[in-house]
Amino acid sequence: MYAYDDFDRNIVNARVAEFRDQVDRRLKGELTEEEFRPLRLMNGLYLQLHAYMLRVAIPYGTLSADQMRRLALIARKYDKGYGHFTTRQNIQYNWPKLVETPDILEELADVEMHAHQTSGNCIRNVTTDQFAGATKDEIDDPRPYAELIRQWSTFHPEFSFLPRKFKIAITGADTDRAAVKWHDIGLIMRRNDAGEVGFEVIVGGGMGRTPVIGKTIREFLPVKDLLSYLEAILRVYNEQGRRDNKYKARIKILVDALGADEYARLTEEEWAKIKDRPIDVPDEEVARIRAFFTPPPLPVLSDDVAEVDAFAKENFIFATWLQNNTNPHKVPGYVNVTISLKPHGGIPGDATDAQMDLVAELADKYSQSEIRVSHEQNLILPHVAKENLVALWKTLDADGLGASNVGLLTDMIVCPGLDYCALANARSIPIGQAITERFDDIRRLQDIGPLKVKISGCINSCGHHHAGHIGILGVDRRGEENYQILLGGSGAEDATKAQLLGPGFDEHGIVDAVEKVVAVYLGERTDGEEFLETYRRLGPTPFKEAIYDAD
Amino acid sequence: MAKKIKGPQLVIANRLDDGRVVFLKECGEWSVNAADAAVAEAPEALDKLEALGKEASSSNFVVDPQLVPAETGDAISPAHMKQAMQAKGPSVRPDLGYQVSHDWEGQN
Repeated sequence: MYAYDDFDRNIVNARVAEFRDQVDRRLKGELTEEEFRPLRLMNGLYLQLHAYMLRVAIPYGTLSADQMRRLALIARKYDKGYGHFTTRQNIQYNWPKLVETPDILEELADVEMHAHQTSGNCIRNVTTDQFAGATKDEIDDPRPYAELIRQWSTFHPEFSFLPRKFKIAITGADTDRAAVKWHDIGLIMRRNDAGEVGFEVIVGGGMGRTPVIGKTIREFLPVKDLLSYLEAILRVYNEQGRRDNKYKARIKILVDALGADEYARLTEEEWAKIKDRPIDVPDEEVARIRAFFTPPPLPVLSDDVAEVDAFAKENFIFATWLQNNTNPHKVPGYVNVTISLKPHGGIPGDATDAQMDLVAELADKYSQSEIRVSHEQNLILPHVAKENLVALWKTLDADGLGASNVGLLTDMIVCPGLDYCALANARSIPIGQAITERFDDIRRLQDIGPLKVKISGCINSCGHHHAGHIGILGVDRRGEENYQILLGGSGAEDATKAQLLGPGFDEHGIVDAVEKVVAVYLGERTDGEEFLETYRRLGPTPFKEAIYDAD
Repeated sequence: MAKKIKGPQLVIANRLDDGRVVFLKECGEWSVNAADAAVAEAPEALDKLEALGKEASSSNFVVDPQLVPAETGDAISPAHMKQAMQAKGPSVRPDLGYQVSHDWEGQN
């Protein structure tokens, strides 16, 4: 893992001291709310429905066990004993007090964490594949580049007041687990004919009220040119992006207005001017950063572990967990374990302080003290020896973390919705909970197979409903919560925009609608065909008929 | 703001120091209990509430005071679902917020 040098430490500590002073001045009335608001947002502090909300950055979703313990301590000492892991691989606290926030930031700085770039119109915390550096199917670990982007973008003076927020995602694998095509900039590691590593550069993706899938503006960018090329993309956006209308201010609108080819041309033109300036870092600096991400020295072990096979035969839940919650590791004899934060009836992404402490303890014991957060709101223990899987699962299961539903219908992305969020128009979490009530049998879920349900409580789409195989959007219909259903979206390498099926439903009707959609799939699927494939083959008509015509 | 909404209204805000939801009382003080809220409907009365809200905002006691539609049935409460949620707490965490009690954090 990356460890701060003096420079990192100094800027984080200086920011904490600065914010402490700003809070003090605000409380004394020396700053008005209008003056203070952008300052608190630059430190991740929002004001939501019930209280302030602090969004803490977890750069590229990587945490140490000690950092997780500190997140648990903050939940216990300053909040209400829990936190919420988000689709940006961050964590949110729902009840911090303004007066205590500088202390929280100090607690975070102590373990090399902060809340920068989690709000405001800046380059936000970079996200990546939760299995980065550990999964079998990647070209290379993207995290050194994510860290490079973090360092380049932190307090970047030119890009601190962009037309709108700006999100970059990066993956090193062919299987896209980071929804890169739905980001302002998506970077996919590629190898060229000469065997060199570089990036496919995608711009202009985004969800919100105008869902757009990003477009490739460069098939192959050598890794050494990454920062200068990003700077060129950002400069074009910063100069030409709209500032007159916040709903038209994201880069996706500019790319759409100019056309991807023109955006590419402008970027290349800008890049030609700056590529030889000292923006890209020297090889030694890249090597220094890379060294922090050196894979742990894992002795090769056997992939066949008799104890695991035997326990899987006698315990169906464990067998499904093994199938759904583990990802093949680069090193034989190891897997990456996903801890589902989607227990039956639970709040997706929420973890208690005790659960965070437990995950930290398990990370120390089984995963080289390393933890990851996925954009699908789960936690990951990378590098787990297969021979430890039975013991690990038993511990997780005893503490309510043994759900084996990763990738299945109940492994939903759900935004906080009207239960917490000041922007929401409808509640999301109760819909997610009602769906888990309806689909409460793991055998049935297993039979249905891979199916991604994503729920947003407003058009801002924090619940990624546009990318859901089944997407649900909560709206306010004449003062009542109403839920629309969308089908056929994907956040993966085959990124697709989900299609709205028709009029919305009340909170009960939407769960019935999901069940009817699943019934059509089960009735129509061919052998081995997953939900999305069936939907793509059939189109929306049979699903629409089942939902709207049955009565 | 006062002129845009019809019917009875109350003032809701967040306290500056801890962000907790509060309601403006007739006397100009703030309560954590929506039932204590002052309700007004006539333009002059609404203007008075709005002015009291602004005063508390200027004196840095609350943030973002807003006049919102009120229910005046058995007990006074905000009419719209968003503010109704604020008056109670998250529906998915009945162990948190004012739905537990109005002094659930040991303060009033």
